[in-house]
Amino acid sequence: MLLEASGIVKQFGSLRAVDGACLAIDRGEVVGLIGPNGAGKSTFFNCLAGEVRPEAGRIIYKGADITALSPEAHARRGIARTWQVPAVFAEMPVRDNVMVGAFLRHHHAPAARRKAEEVIAFTGLAQQAGAPAGSLGTLGRKRLEIARALATEPELVLLDEALAGLNPTETAAAIELVRSIHAAGITLVIVEHVMAVILSLAQRAVVFHQGKVIAAGPPAAVIEDEAVIEAYLGARFRRRSA
Amino acid sequence: MKTRVPLVLLGLAALGLPFVLHEVYYQRVAALVVLAAISASAWNLVGGYAGQVSVGHAMFFGSGAYGALLAYTVLGWPPIAGAPFGIAAALLLAVVVGLPTFRLQGHYFSMATIAAAELIAIAVGNWKLVGGAAGLMGPAAPRSIADLSFRSPLPYYYIFLLVLTILLLITARIERSRLGFYLRAIRGGERAARSLGVPAVRTKLAALLVSAGFTALAGSLYAVMIGFVDPESGLGLLVSVQMVIIAALGGAGTLWGPLIGAATLIPLEETTNAFFGGSGTGATFVVYGAIIVLISRFLPGGIAELWQLVRSRRRLRAA
Amino acid sequence: MILVQLVADGLLLGAVYALLSSGLTLIWGMMNVVNFAHGDFVMLAMYIAFVAVTFLHVGPAVFVPLAALMLFGLGVGVYFALIRHVMRGPMLAQILSTFGLGILLRYMVFWVFSANFVSLPNRMAGGVLAIAGLRLQDSRLLAGLMALLLTVGLHLMLTRTAFGSRLLAVAEDRTAAMLVGIRPDAMQALAWGIGAACAGVAGALIALFFYISPLVGDSLVLIAFVTVCLGGFGSIPGALVAGLAIGVIESLSAWFIGAAWQDVVVFALFLLALWLRPQGLMGKA
Ligand SMILES: Nc1ncnc2c1ncn2[C@@H]1O[C@H](COP(=O)(O)OP(=O)(O)O)[C@@H](O)[C@H]1O
Ligand SMILES: [Mg+2]
Repeated sequence: MLLEASGIVKQFGSLRAVDGACLAIDRGEVVGLIGPNGAGKSTFFNCLAGEVRPEAGRIIYKGADITALSPEAHARRGIARTWQVPAVFAEMPVRDNVMVGAFLRHHHAPAARRKAEEVIAFTGLAQQAGAPAGSLGTLGRKRLEIARALATEPELVLLDEALAGLNPTETAAAIELVRSIHAAGITLVIVEHVMAVILSLAQRAVVFHQGKVIAAGPPAAVIEDEAVIEAYLGARFRRRSA
Repeated sequence: MKTRVPLVLLGLAALGLPFVLHEVYYQRVAALVVLAAISASAWNLVGGYAGQVSVGHAMFFGSGAYGALLAYTVLGWPPIAGAPFGIAAALLLAVVVGLPTFRLQGHYFSMATIAAAELIAIAVGNWKLVGGAAGLMGPAAPRSIADLSFRSPLPYYYIFLLVLTILLLITARIERSRLGFYLRAIRGGERAARSLGVPAVRTKLAALLVSAGFTALAGSLYAVMIGFVDPESGLGLLVSVQMVIIAALGGAGTLWGPLIGAATLIPLEETTNAFFGGSGTGATFVVYGAIIVLISRFLPGGIAELWQLVRSRRRLRAA
Repeated sequence: MILVQLVADGLLLGAVYALLSSGLTLIWGMMNVVNFAHGDFVMLAMYIAFVAVTFLHVGPAVFVPLAALMLFGLGVGVYFALIRHVMRGPMLAQILSTFGLGILLRYMVFWVFSANFVSLPNRMAGGVLAIAGLRLQDSRLLAGLMALLLTVGLHLMLTRTAFGSRLLAVAEDRTAAMLVGIRPDAMQALAWGIGAACAGVAGALIALFFYISPLVGDSLVLIAFVTVCLGGFGSIPGALVAGLAIGVIESLSAWFIGAAWQDVVVFALFLLALWLRPQGLMGKA
């Protein structure tokens, strides 16, 4: 067991964005998190990354309780994340963006630069390495988010809709990238709207609805689940599959 | 490998400047330019690189200035001997003010720093022991060389130049190091930075300590040269504002920006003062205000940005 | 008895603070821009009152609306000439723009009128009303009550009228507002106009009982910041409660600790409040 979150609750005013969600992740897994918009996936992610402190519940990572730790402490322990709305450092060059991540494990600039170049090559950003991050398009920004996260040399990467808004060609390339990250031995949790992505990438799908996990299992089986179809895919999907 | 030739030339020009500017008046302006460049460069570490727009740096400047003159009025020491006390007080202030306010974002941070500085200015103005509203005077006539009281502005010019050089070297060092990357990352987005392992509060505090220390040193040097400080000239809002304007005018978050800004604004200020008959008319500050508005509207990156724009144009044309 | 008198004085002053802060909080809540020149808007209105009284020999019935109107125009103008262009830019440019504007206004007035303190002639509203053992200056009473009325009116306009809901719609979600046919630019310009007009009325009213100088906006804007932070960014009822509270705190601390220290007390409370609740005492997280 790499990470185990149990009974996570997060309240925004009168709204329970996450309502007792549980999730256990094994080392080397790719877990897909799905659910309708507003189901609480991002908020749950933020709890796992230390960005949001849950009101109840516990998160155990490699045997230690990390529930109350800061985001930077999460990064130090090997949990990296991307943001649903890309949050690149717009004025800094792509290379420097990635170096910020690399500085976590390499305190001196030359070593951090070497690490950054390696990650930049791996994520296919070499062409744009010198350009300001603000000049990148959606695709570039999403890649840069992933590159920065990888530069921190994480064991667990949380990708929040890292493939949303890409066209089919770009999506295919991004799926390849996620596969190669997994092949490098990194555990992944991905939030995705596009079913095909979950089906082709995840070994396990976990379905969120109104802050709760309503189903979990192999992706192919989960999308057959009646409750999931009701909650998430709704009438539209049934109509289409009929 | 970048060539060092321009740097060496700039250094030589700075050293030789007084030999070109024979008149005492111009030498004095040159000294004031360098002094303003010191405090603006110090501000730049926090306000420029880290993007935390402090409008309260007068509290550090004032610590230095008051530290120096209190050493004279209370202990009878040469004013410069009070600088370490002023710097220590500024560092203490940086921790006390910085820790709570660094949790605030954007405008809120600016407001909190204004309020903290005003608070101190009012308190000092009402406190007899530190001179109250009347302020403090340095030695009327130099008692020894240690009083650093010179007729000619030249010794001050060279002392200030030395301090500025040290500060620029430190800044250049920081710029290339992890701290520099972390500061710029915080400016680019604190949440994202923290998720990459940047300890935001500690990083900002580190920058603020260096910044406050050098701002206080600038304050001490100012007090040594002018021999007078009161709440307005040492702790007033305009003292903070001047650092912000100079850095922003030259280019906030760049190594040379504050120096460019100081070399532009201070002579301009002197010229308008001369033109409109002294700073008492307020005309100088009208110019100040107009400059600030124009930069924010048309040139948010300052003169440094203009420079880069021209350079990239030229490169485009060459290609 | 002195306590009741101090509280009454504080409440009247606080109502004026509430009005001037309402203008600041409206702009702030709506587009997340802080108008650092707000205090200088107030100062400008005080000079408008001064000029109107000295040269046109008119009373508050004329100079208060006049100040409101002129400041409204200034607010709209500033929005189109400046704010619109820096709103989405870097933080430093945002802060500098209104800061520079404030300095510009302040020292233009300084240039024209010099640093001398002036005030309106005492006969403007120089009487004293004595009720139930309280002695209330007419000028302060007039200013306090009018400010209270206008603050409440502003709140009602924002919450009860179609115009108000259009303004709030832009504040909530620009793009969504555009989709239903609201022009955010026009709404934001109006918000700047109204915000500046609040400062205008407040300034004209303060001029009734306060000295006038080019730098007077300095401490007023800080008080407005304190009020807005305590009351919650964008909340007019919050500004009202916080404004009244600050008026009373000032009045009490001026009496018990000394007038020189009243601002120190207010700023210290402000820093304490920011520290304990960075999102404001009544604001949402
Ligand atoms: N900072 C916040 N403040 C208030 N409500 C929030 C906040 N973040 C998210 N929410 C609300 O929580 C719910 C869950 O949001 P989110 O976790 O983003 O869902 P998802 O990622 O599954 O689309 C939504 O109704 C959203 O409006
Ligand atoms: Mg989401």
